[in-house]
Amino acid sequence: MFQRICMNLFRKQSSEINIKCRCGATFQGNAEARHQRNLLFTKEKQRQRENIGRIEKIEVQYTGTPEDVTLMMNKGISTPFNCAQHMSEMLMQRSALALIDDTTLWDMNHPLEADCQLRLLHFRDPDPYHVNKAFWRSCSMLLGAMAENVFKEEVHVELHSFPSPNVKTGSFVYDVNIGLDNWQPSQDELRIMSSQMVTLCQKNLKFERLEVNVDLALEMFKGNKYKREQIPHIASQISEGKTVVLYRVGDHIDLSRGPMVGDTSFVGKCTVTAVHQIETEQGILYRFQGVALPKGFLLNHFAYGILEDRAKKLNPGRLPSAPSHVSDVFQPASEAMSL
Amino acid sequence: MNQADVTKLMSRLKIKYAPVRRRLKNIEGPEGRLKKIRKTLTALVKHERIELNFNRADETRGYVERLISDAIRYGDCHRATMELADYWLLEKQLIHKLFKVLVPRFENCPVSYTRMYRAPNLPPDKGYERAVLELRGNPYPPLLPDTTANRNLIHNVLLDEAHKEFRAQKYAEIAKKLEEADENMTKSPSDVAAESSQESETESSEEAEGQVPDEKMAQLSREKGEQPPDILGMFGLLRSYMY
Repeated sequence: MFQRICMNLFRKQSSEINIKCRCGATFQGNAEARHQRNLLFTKEKQRQRENIGRIEKIEVQYTGTPEDVTLMMNKGISTPFNCAQHMSEMLMQRSALALIDDTTLWDMNHPLEADCQLRLLHFRDPDPYHVNKAFWRSCSMLLGAMAENVFKEEVHVELHSFPSPNVKTGSFVYDVNIGLDNWQPSQDELRIMSSQMVTLCQKNLKFERLEVNVDLALEMFKGNKYKREQIPHIASQISEGKTVVLYRVGDHIDLSRGPMVGDTSFVGKCTVTAVHQIETEQGILYRFQGVALPKGFLLNHFAYGILEDRAKKLNPGRLPSAPSHVSDVFQPASEAMSL
Repeated sequence: MNQADVTKLMSRLKIKYAPVRRRLKNIEGPEGRLKKIRKTLTALVKHERIELNFNRADETRGYVERLISDAIRYGDCHRATMELADYWLLEKQLIHKLFKVLVPRFENCPVSYTRMYRAPNLPPDKGYERAVLELRGNPYPPLLPDTTANRNLIHNVLLDEAHKEFRAQKYAEIAKKLEEADENMTKSPSDVAAESSQESETESSEEAEGQVPDEKMAQLSREKGEQPPDILGMFGLLRSYMY
């Protein structure tokens, strides 16, 4: 117990340090853009938090293990993770996703907005389809974060997007423009990328969700032509062109409709398996692919090797196209909105 | 030289055990140790799953294995075995359980008869390591989660899809070989003869056409220096490896 408390304190400190790093110093290129994006994100999050004003209470009815309870939580502040903190440490550690009123999937770190019934989902549920999907999506986002950071400063990396996550394809994907022709990563480079991704996951970073105005999102992504094109399109599909959903993990910010798993500590074994060059309407992009298992899923090397080999093949997911043709990715997820 | 094979004299245990016995600290010395073990052994045969200190569980485990394996080996008409059972089992009705319930249950058991898990040690207890010792095939719910039966778990989804893809690929290969074989069959025998005389290298593959596709594929892949493709066996084996 004592050890655990110490760990928590340490975690708290390290996150503070992280925030300090975000606010200090001057950067160049990609790093500068990331820094600015983070400042805007933090500012907007702060603004939204202050807008709540007087704190109201909501009633959250939790059903599931260890027992059904009703919790009084703060409207617009308390998250499902906070609910889990009130109930049991086991729930805190294993819950990857929340289910509100049996219909809506909800991020663990997304404040609750009204009275609701709450279920907490985890990877060993009888049918963990949605958790698996959220896990795959989170891994895609982490892959993007890794791809943006892993190259040297002279390589200008522009993230494009990732297709709708499908566990059955055997790999999660991120499409990236790195401005190189005929680049083929060596085995060592892939290993370095894998290790970078593992290092990222080991930081136990939370996935922070924030809904922002289109204007602000456009300002955040002013350095990325693909995201700039996508933002109005996504907004038109989910909220009559007003807002888009952003996620932040560590200092990486990305567009995604979510939901994501609670934090990066859920990622266990993880490999970046291949980078394929793909020809698209928007020029030559690189499709980064990887495979991962949640923490606690122990698979022997032979079996995991089979998964890795399969993840090396080009993922059949939708190829990136101009936003007007984007069909399945940014639609309000049918399964996310209504189960 | 003329030593007897030890494994023929006494049963070989299917567990790992320490070569040096533990003394199981107590006032009565070695006799007290045996008393402790008799108590634990009786409790295990009676309840089939018990939680206790790790040392005592591990020490008793070997005696339980030995007793059950002797009971299986010699049956209930063997005087020495019956005396052994009488000594170890403090409650005499359990002797019937040993020969009538446990022996039939474990007769064809290829693995150990008991299982041992490490159990958590929570603060009010003293700092001893805890363990759970159980007989296999007990009626209680399993202690470890079953990760293979639920095919919706993420690793199972991934493995099942890999399995499907692998099978599809192999079937496609077989179909291709069969097509090739059909083409060759439709050719006239004189053509085949001419071909074989022209290209001596292809002889082996020509011969192979007549065989069952699987064998043929195995032969081809052996030539390439690969492992023979095992369409169903490979993944059958794999499932058992998971966890």
